[in-house]
Amino acid sequence: MSMSVLSVSRLTKRFGPPTGGFTAVNEISFEMKEGEVLGLLGPNGAGKTTTIQMLLGITTPTEGTITYFGRDFFRNKPDCLQRINYTSAFNTLQGRTTVWENLLVFSNLYQISDPEKKIMELIEYFEMSDLLHKRYWDLSAGQRTRTNFMKALLNDPQIILMDEPTASLDPDIADKTLTLIEQLRKDRKLSILFTSHNMPEVTRICDRVIFLDHGKIVAHDTPLGLTKRFQSAELKLTFDEKKDAIEEYLKKEKQAFRFDGGHVVYITTQETDIPKLIFDLKGLGMWITDIEVKKPTLEDVFLKIARGKSHVFQKN
Amino acid sequence: MSFKRIKAILMHEFFITKHSYEVINDIGIYPLWSIIVFGYLTIYLAGVTGSVIAHYVLVGMILWQIINITQYSIAVGVLWDVWSRNLTNIFISPISYTEYLLSYTISGAIKAFIVIVLGSFLSLLIFKFNILSLGIVNLTLYFLNLAFFAFSFGIIILGLVFRFGTKIQAFAWGLITFFQPLMAVIYPVSILPKPLQTLAYLFPPTYVFEATRASLSDPKIQWSYSVIAFFLNIVFCIFAIAFFNFMFKKSKEVGQFAKLEG
Repeated sequence: MSMSVLSVSRLTKRFGPPTGGFTAVNEISFEMKEGEVLGLLGPNGAGKTTTIQMLLGITTPTEGTITYFGRDFFRNKPDCLQRINYTSAFNTLQGRTTVWENLLVFSNLYQISDPEKKIMELIEYFEMSDLLHKRYWDLSAGQRTRTNFMKALLNDPQIILMDEPTASLDPDIADKTLTLIEQLRKDRKLSILFTSHNMPEVTRICDRVIFLDHGKIVAHDTPLGLTKRFQSAELKLTFDEKKDAIEEYLKKEKQAFRFDGGHVVYITTQETDIPKLIFDLKGLGMWITDIEVKKPTLEDVFLKIARGKSHVFQKN
Repeated sequence: MSFKRIKAILMHEFFITKHSYEVINDIGIYPLWSIIVFGYLTIYLAGVTGSVIAHYVLVGMILWQIINITQYSIAVGVLWDVWSRNLTNIFISPISYTEYLLSYTISGAIKAFIVIVLGSFLSLLIFKFNILSLGIVNLTLYFLNLAFFAFSFGIIILGLVFRFGTKIQAFAWGLITFFQPLMAVIYPVSILPKPLQTLAYLFPPTYVFEATRASLSDPKIQWSYSVIAFFLNIVFCIFAIAFFNFMFKKSKEVGQFAKLEG
């Protein structure tokens, strides 16, 4: 069984006075295993960024503990920081200096024994050799992302915190970035704490996800497990005729439905009821020309939480 | 304390300076230009008041650059990373803030030394004033005391920037000039009104500039002024470090540090 590389216990951050202040993060506890990609999700203001800031030591928690590799973070900060790193779409490197200069500075900050060799290894891996002497400001968004990743890998970290690493990237570069993350994880057995508002990419790369809402963990499962807790699916049927018969049947079955014109009906139902519905409607003599089942996605889970219906996902 | 991390910040400072005309102007061209302007004022005053008094102005302006450049380097150095959204990257590395501050102090002192050497050379070349006439030991003591004060002043500004963010960033290059009249840089303390004289003697540089003027007439080592300045510097430094610690801690508590980059 993989060991835990990060353990967070009852982590809390309150801003403002004890009474009348604002609790950004409210007693959250979770663990991240070695080699795991853990998604930290939630709507804006849910507490993700504050959590990451506390995990990096740039915001002081009000209460709770953070343990990296079995050691208390705040008592062993330099040692812990030496073994983790961070990359974000919202932080950049020094824009006035070149890629090489930036990497040289950070490799010395992380006390890399042979900085030039390390940088060249990363440059080759990321195919950036022709951009080495270009100023960071002059790089494209995709090139900056790759440079940020190089910086984040300089110290061979065991954990990388990634705060929306693909935000503001075009779909092609975002896809390449995700492929890169998958590759890095495979090659280096990295543990990654990943935040994003893009649910398909979370589904693609995260082993587990934690949903935060108003500073609390409201759901914690695998992406598949979370979507399975979503009871209903949407069935779209396109038919030739007999709209009235269909309507009568669906009312009798107490199904939620809506027609779109005279030949399309959307039925929101339990996923397990779909075969029976189709069978029954066929039995009415209905000629179905197209069937489309929209299964719940992480996006639906996100929307439920963002719209204040997080209780739906709580495990009994 | 890690030499490699200090070296990293020194390299960082060097690379930024190399690529930034603003920095070269602020800590190179502008100070040298000021020395030239005040040098010509010295020539004019020498005709009116005699050369010793006139040289008060020139030597004061040359030595003022030690404070100006060192504190600028510490206080503005951090802003380059705030503006570039790079500060988080630096502070999530294992660097301690002692290493960080020490690096910027070394960098500021090196820059100040280079500018002082260039400024002194210019004043010798154009105005026939040799700063070495103050005495090497005196000059060393003045440099150390002024750089020491600039370090303390710089970290107070840095503490304010960390705590209150970029809305007070103008303090980084402007606040020191607010105190300049009190430090009697180019005139004796005695011409200040009595209450301001008392205030002036609370600042270590006041003693250095008084010593400098004394050295112009008599190049013997000005131990008394330098020792008072040094002890005041220690008091000032203890206050500055405590202030910075408080502001840094508070900044991380209220979440301001993480918000510095916008």
